[in-house]
Amino acid sequence: MRMAMHVFRYRLRCLLRDTDTLFWTMAFPILLATMFYVGFGNLMGGDASFEPVKVAVVNSPAYQRNVYLKQMLAVLSTPGADQLLDLTVTDETEAQRLLDEGGVTGIITVGDVDDTADPIASSIRLTVTQSGLGQSILKAILDDYLHASATVSSVLSQNPAAIAELIDRLGNRESYTQQISYSDAMPDTAVGYFYALVAMACLYTGFWGMRNTIDLQADLSDQGARRSVAPTHKLAVVLCDWAAAFLIGFGEVLVLLAYLAFGLKIDFGDQVGYVLLTCLAGCIAGVSFGTLLGTLFRKSEGAKVAALVGATNVLSFLAGLMYVNMKHIVARNVPVLSYINPVALTSDAFYSLYVFDNHHRFFLNIGLLCVISAVMCFASYLQLRREKYASL
Amino acid sequence: MQVFKAYFRVMRASAGMISIYLGVFVGMAVLVTLTSSQSPATEFNETRTRAAVINRDGDAPLAQGLADYIGDTFTVVPYEDDPEKLQDALFYRDVEYVAIIPQGFSATFMAAGSGRPGDTGHAGDLGQADSDSQASGLRQVQVAGSVDSPGRTEASDQTAVIQKVIVPASTSSHYVDIRIDEFLNTVSIHRDLGMAGEAGETAEDRQARLVAAVRADLAAEVPVSLRLAGGRSGTSKESDSKYASYFAYQSYALVAMVMMGISSIMIAFNKRDLRLRNLCTPVPQRGFDLAIAAGHAVFALGCWAIMVLFGLILNGTGPFSSGRGWLYLANSLVLTAVAAAIGFAVGHFVKTSSGQSGAVNVISLGMSFLCGVFVPQAIMRQSVLAVAKFFPVYWYIRANDAIAALANSVSGSPYPIYGFMLVQLGFAVAILSVTLLFSKERRLAEL
Repeated sequence: MRMAMHVFRYRLRCLLRDTDTLFWTMAFPILLATMFYVGFGNLMGGDASFEPVKVAVVNSPAYQRNVYLKQMLAVLSTPGADQLLDLTVTDETEAQRLLDEGGVTGIITVGDVDDTADPIASSIRLTVTQSGLGQSILKAILDDYLHASATVSSVLSQNPAAIAELIDRLGNRESYTQQISYSDAMPDTAVGYFYALVAMACLYTGFWGMRNTIDLQADLSDQGARRSVAPTHKLAVVLCDWAAAFLIGFGEVLVLLAYLAFGLKIDFGDQVGYVLLTCLAGCIAGVSFGTLLGTLFRKSEGAKVAALVGATNVLSFLAGLMYVNMKHIVARNVPVLSYINPVALTSDAFYSLYVFDNHHRFFLNIGLLCVISAVMCFASYLQLRREKYASL
Repeated sequence: MQVFKAYFRVMRASAGMISIYLGVFVGMAVLVTLTSSQSPATEFNETRTRAAVINRDGDAPLAQGLADYIGDTFTVVPYEDDPEKLQDALFYRDVEYVAIIPQGFSATFMAAGSGRPGDTGHAGDLGQADSDSQASGLRQVQVAGSVDSPGRTEASDQTAVIQKVIVPASTSSHYVDIRIDEFLNTVSIHRDLGMAGEAGETAEDRQARLVAAVRADLAAEVPVSLRLAGGRSGTSKESDSKYASYFAYQSYALVAMVMMGISSIMIAFNKRDLRLRNLCTPVPQRGFDLAIAAGHAVFALGCWAIMVLFGLILNGTGPFSSGRGWLYLANSLVLTAVAAAIGFAVGHFVKTSSGQSGAVNVISLGMSFLCGVFVPQAIMRQSVLAVAKFFPVYWYIRANDAIAALANSVSGSPYPIYGFMLVQLGFAVAILSVTLLFSKERRLAEL
């Protein structure tokens, strides 16, 4: 046991002196988090709240005569919670100028009433400079007006006496939608990036695991050769190395987590214990992953590192680090991939803590992470055991 | 010439790393171009917000009619009635609106109109009811229900509403609300005022008839005219916005590639032993430095040309007809010079290859995030932008945005753009001179 403590302690010191790996596993994720934070800017904290659509109406005699349209637009632009429009009534040249400069989203023009047409309907036009949501809202409002006149003529043809009632009903529109929500969490997509980032940092602990395998295999480093002839039991050495790598990696992830939660105020929910459990499982998977890659690729150190960098980048990409929706796209189209990807599992564990009220999916993620880690550890054990070298 | 040749022999060693940046960027750019719809902005297209419709009311014609209407007006993504899946979809914005038609919605909604027994929808009856309560639709039912038939109170309590799960206060949810409310309001008007129930007609038939009448009412559309900026034809805005975003994104890859290549060379030639040996050669120092500088220039220009070429292949030559294309090219050429200067500095101050890749990644990624390459500057915080002004990429993006804005304005002047380019050149000159100063000092110290 004393021997094990000795190996563990020296492994810790050895790893901590590897400044390159320290930079990539700790400083780099923190830098990346800072960049995400400054880069996302106002995207953080959910989508911007609804702003009334700015619209200009050309003030023509025809518009002034159209009482119903005037009334409708006035109702929609009344300040308050339900305000949809920000109305400017002006002349044609001014309206054009506003549209060109982006001061308004569209221009409503009311032409002269056609004698044959319905009294309410008239040639209303909408002029915009591009397609978009604001423009579509304007069109929906004007369509609504046009449809109302269709309703009027169709109802009056069946029930001419209803005119007064009809006008009243058209003026008092009911809202038929009621907002419900599944949970209290704000669906703030930006936090997804930070969850993926912590998940990536967890997998980056694999660099420590890989470092261990290089220092352990006699054909890869002098240190490995020396340690191979030492009388300590190999399994004890492997376990001590593993523990040291895990301890450092977990510590780094905790620093990152503290920076995110307290420095950048990213919302991880209030279930601290579960968040830490996720980091723990993620780091275990990370170290196991690095160990496995380190034992699988028997080539040079450069090839091992390249394999690890490539693998972590691809897995992080699939988990939504570069494009947050990727995680959802993968989960919807190739669900298997998201069940075996440790980065996706870790970030999904954070996500389910944040979004869902129950822990069903959370424990599914953690369970899968543990299973994957166990499989990877066992595979590297098979690779590492009973190694013999013909010559060194 | 010998030195020049040696330059590219050294470059070959770091060609792998450089082509990774290039490959990843080109892959992404192709993907983005392929997925973004190529619709030319010659006509107005309504936004078809992505929505999920959960119809718990089964085959009832009214519920079905509403679901069909939503399907015709928006892009409905098929989802099953599973809160977890729907929450996922909403969080990742696969849908922006989940509309849930509750069970019994159609029956409750229809009952709302027939508060009175034997109601046939005559205006007189309802008019009276209306003047009693001074309200319409839902509240009327509750009054009528509780007075006339207590048994119906329960049904009225679960009033006929569509439940929605949305991103709170999002603009798109307002948009969908307008359409759904319009549909149901029109149904209620027809139900109460227009369409009398016929003898022997089943509830389903009546609902189907109502839906048909409403769909007929909602068929008309307001004409929308799309006015291209300045009345200019041929140059549609769409192609310029693609240009602008391509040239914004390419700055990251360009800076990373140029920095990587030039710093690799400088690290190699700055190795102490190698440099001391080179100093003993009969090649004059000036000629040696010039050859290296020429190598840098050829390499940087090559990177720039590759990026420009890909841009042209992917996005066409639209903005060149009005000269804006040349502005994009000039701007990115200026940035190339800045990147070369930074690479030169990195190659001077960093000695190991791991330090180099750290510096290249941190500088290129950091500047990109800070200066608005990935996220438009318009939505970044002012405090962040204030810091970003001290980095050249900020001015590159400013110029890039200004060129794109030129396409939309009638009387835009290109002069501010030249100013932004000059600022970038200033950065390049400053970085280069500081590095040369240090390098002279080091040379003197070594001898």
